[in-house]
Amino acid sequence: MTEPLLEVEGIAIAFGGVQALAGVSLEVRAGEIFSLIGPNGAGKTTLFNVISGVLRPDAGDVRFLGRSIIGRAPHRIAQAGIARTYQIVRPFGRLSVVDNVAVGALIHARTVERARRDAREIVEFVGLAPYADRFASDLTLTQRKRLEVARALALRPKLLLLDEVMAGLTPSEMDGMADFVLGLSERGIAAVCGIEHVMRLVMRISHRIAVLDAGRLIAQGDPHAIQNDPAVIEAYLGTPTVAG
Amino acid sequence: MKTALRIAAVVAIAALVFAPLRLNGYLLNLLYTTVLYVALAYGWNIISGYAGYFSFGQIAFFGIGAYATGLLVADQHWFWMVAALAGGIVACALAVPLGYVMLRLRGPFFAMGMFGMAQMVRVLVTAIPATGSGAGLFLPPGSSLTGVYYWTLAICLGAIALTLWIDRSAFGLRLQALREDEQVAGTLGVDVTRAKITAFSLSALIPGLLGGGYALFLTYIEPDAAFSSRLDLQSIVMAILGGVGTVWGPLVGGIVMTQVSEALWARFPQIYLMLFGGLLVALLLALPRGIVPAIASRWRAR
Repeated sequence: MTEPLLEVEGIAIAFGGVQALAGVSLEVRAGEIFSLIGPNGAGKTTLFNVISGVLRPDAGDVRFLGRSIIGRAPHRIAQAGIARTYQIVRPFGRLSVVDNVAVGALIHARTVERARRDAREIVEFVGLAPYADRFASDLTLTQRKRLEVARALALRPKLLLLDEVMAGLTPSEMDGMADFVLGLSERGIAAVCGIEHVMRLVMRISHRIAVLDAGRLIAQGDPHAIQNDPAVIEAYLGTPTVAG
Repeated sequence: MKTALRIAAVVAIAALVFAPLRLNGYLLNLLYTTVLYVALAYGWNIISGYAGYFSFGQIAFFGIGAYATGLLVADQHWFWMVAALAGGIVACALAVPLGYVMLRLRGPFFAMGMFGMAQMVRVLVTAIPATGSGAGLFLPPGSSLTGVYYWTLAICLGAIALTLWIDRSAFGLRLQALREDEQVAGTLGVDVTRAKITAFSLSALIPGLLGGGYALFLTYIEPDAAFSSRLDLQSIVMAILGGVGTVWGPLVGGIVMTQVSEALWARFPQIYLMLFGGLLVALLLALPRGIVPAIASRWRAR
């Protein structure tokens, strides 16, 4: 648990004149639930895009298991053990639910049949078994969110980046998602959860929290410390006892 | 059901193999053209149907195959089938660097880019003095229509077999994933660049192999024939009509289109093109995803 799984160091990236990230550094340890909170536009998705290799930062380094992954193609980062979901769900609409998941399973399976078998198990695990052979475009938003997670799990990641997992869910679905994330941690999968504003759950599930505001980390620490951090209270939480 | 289809396929292949023994010149000519179009449509379907990169320039590889064969036969006196095979390999090999550049473009930009690339290749090929430039290149006689027909039939059947394999393989699943969303496919572990270039070079190999047969069929090649936009567009329309990205779409679309076109041409020679165009528009309005997907979804609904 002492060796960091993911090390993000001084990541900076600008789009045109907008500094989306201005020197962000953080560390995630194996099996840890790390929540990245911050308002819309704070830079959470941008940071996920950098870690997953979709965007190349202007400065800084990302190390996974001690090795720099900056400049590596997204598929190599996925193969190394980092999976992600997308905030705006992006299913492969004209593929079946099973095939959506089988794509990720292909990195471990030697044949497509084997990948589909693995995919069926995962589809069942996330509760989409009745829809396994439907087109992904037929799913509801909640089901699509589960499909996002299922596809990422098919990579058997060591680290899962969950972009706005709670957005669009009802309160009871949010609790289900929180339990799910806790279950990941128990199985040794680290998770970075990008969450806009469900403080109740963030405090419940997170081992550590970082607060991102306008491209900068304004605080980092355990839930208790974050709740009492004056900078956080001022910039983001408003009052320390805000509920989701 | 499955055995019935298998028997039908065996009978159809046997009929195609024995056809030259029975058919007269006109009918064999028509059959050759049909098989050629269907094979071209299958070639196009890999990069454009499965991988979703609509190309309006695959004819470039057909022309490369035709000219490579022409030069090897006329100047080097190779046996034409060996030359045509070499033409296909040249087209496939050239597709790797070309694909590396062109596949950075997406959507309409890729489609237009490929159109431009085909024009460029055409100019470059005809700039080689040995190709006779605009005046064309004569091939020594020595092959019969029957030989060219068998060559084309073999490639067509090979293209169908290849498509069947792709449709069921991990490679095909990767292609379909990147067609749906390239970025997501990448973060799910798909090496999108490699998959796209492989698909592109397979989509070049097929027309490349066909081009040599066509050169022999014409016995004289010039740029307009070897880089025929008519062949290019017709085969694309066939694949679209039959169903893009499906195994049987190019075959069904190809058969429907050539038969309908021939029947209309024989009966209404003056207004055939108008009728044909109108029918095509009507069919595509009624079945926007093509014939095969329409039948498949009806089948599933039962």
